[in-house]
Amino acid sequence: MSLLNAILIGLATGIVFGFALEKSRVFEPGIIFGQMQLRNFIMLKMFFAAVIAGLIVIAVMHGAYGVKLNLKPLLFKADIIGGLILGVGVALAGACPGTTLAQIGAGYRDAWFVLLGGLTGALVYGYFDAPISAFFNESGQRVGLDQLLGLPFWSVALGFAVVLVFVLIILERQWAWPNEIGRNYDGLKESDSNAATDGQAKS
Amino acid sequence: MLNLTEKAWSPYIAGAIIGLLQIPTFLLMDTALGASSSYVTVAAHIAALFDSRVTEIKYLASHMWGAKNWWQVAVVVGIALGAFLSMRLSGARRQSISPVWRRVTGATTLASRAPLAFLAGFIMLFGARIAGGCTSGHGISGMAQLSIGSTLAVAAMFAGGILTAMLMKRA
Repeated sequence: MSLLNAILIGLATGIVFGFALEKSRVFEPGIIFGQMQLRNFIMLKMFFAAVIAGLIVIAVMHGAYGVKLNLKPLLFKADIIGGLILGVGVALAGACPGTTLAQIGAGYRDAWFVLLGGLTGALVYGYFDAPISAFFNESGQRVGLDQLLGLPFWSVALGFAVVLVFVLIILERQWAWPNEIGRNYDGLKESDSNAATDGQAKS
Repeated sequence: MLNLTEKAWSPYIAGAIIGLLQIPTFLLMDTALGASSSYVTVAAHIAALFDSRVTEIKYLASHMWGAKNWWQVAVVVGIALGAFLSMRLSGARRQSISPVWRRVTGATTLASRAPLAFLAGFIMLFGARIAGGCTSGHGISGMAQLSIGSTLAVAAMFAGGILTAMLMKRA
């Protein structure tokens, strides 16, 4: 794979990713923060839909064509502690590392500061990777649920996809997505989104 | 079927499209979708302008070159371009900061939001690099491969996010 091809494939993938993220509104701080306050479930819906589609296509690619999986190793302490810290950042940023770029594209200017902070955080981690890794002192295997159950990947993946579909059906019955989008498409509810539309640039 | 000029699509359709992006990613790049390691790639190159030792630090050096690292940088640049394109087509222009911050933190201007935004980004990427992935790599990709570690990381991420958000004002 030449560098130029990799970059072109990445750009094409990212443009589709960013386009879909913008349409889903799951780059809106109101929707991501609202998810963390359990007041808006659009983020979880989009996330599970992406996981379901991924489960199905990866089950087919791996099960029928032998395409190899790319699991990250299981590191208990690093996964839990890193995940908790990441979550604190996601709530305060109203973004994740990927959606920060979608916010920049859609015009939220504070996302540039999240990006700058993110680059700094990634760099500081990089400088301290050796002592941090030594502190956690973990070496992990690439463990999947299919291996724990002793079943073929495709069967567990498709089974998990079905479970998630039922979760989505329940979520949608409880909170229908068109009611969660908000009048200004920012995830803020009708009753209190007046301020959201004041001063809104007319296009 | 999918109207490119609409302001919002069903989160199920949009999510499914993102999940389908695993096909070119697995087949052409032999990897899974992710976002957070691109921050290391870009930050390491910026730091290398000021600090020649960067290339001697194994973790940073391992993220600086090669097709997969630059593929992921291209993905996140593409995310910004795709979101911009979608916003221009639908006309869903945004203010400089989301109105959610006025209610939660009282920030009404970019200047009053910027310090917390910077800190949030720092915490987010520092945590993501400890965990070895973010909402994309551990979430969308790890869970779609039934990874136990990724599922654990995603559960911890939601736990950290929910605890933090619940301590703040209602949005």
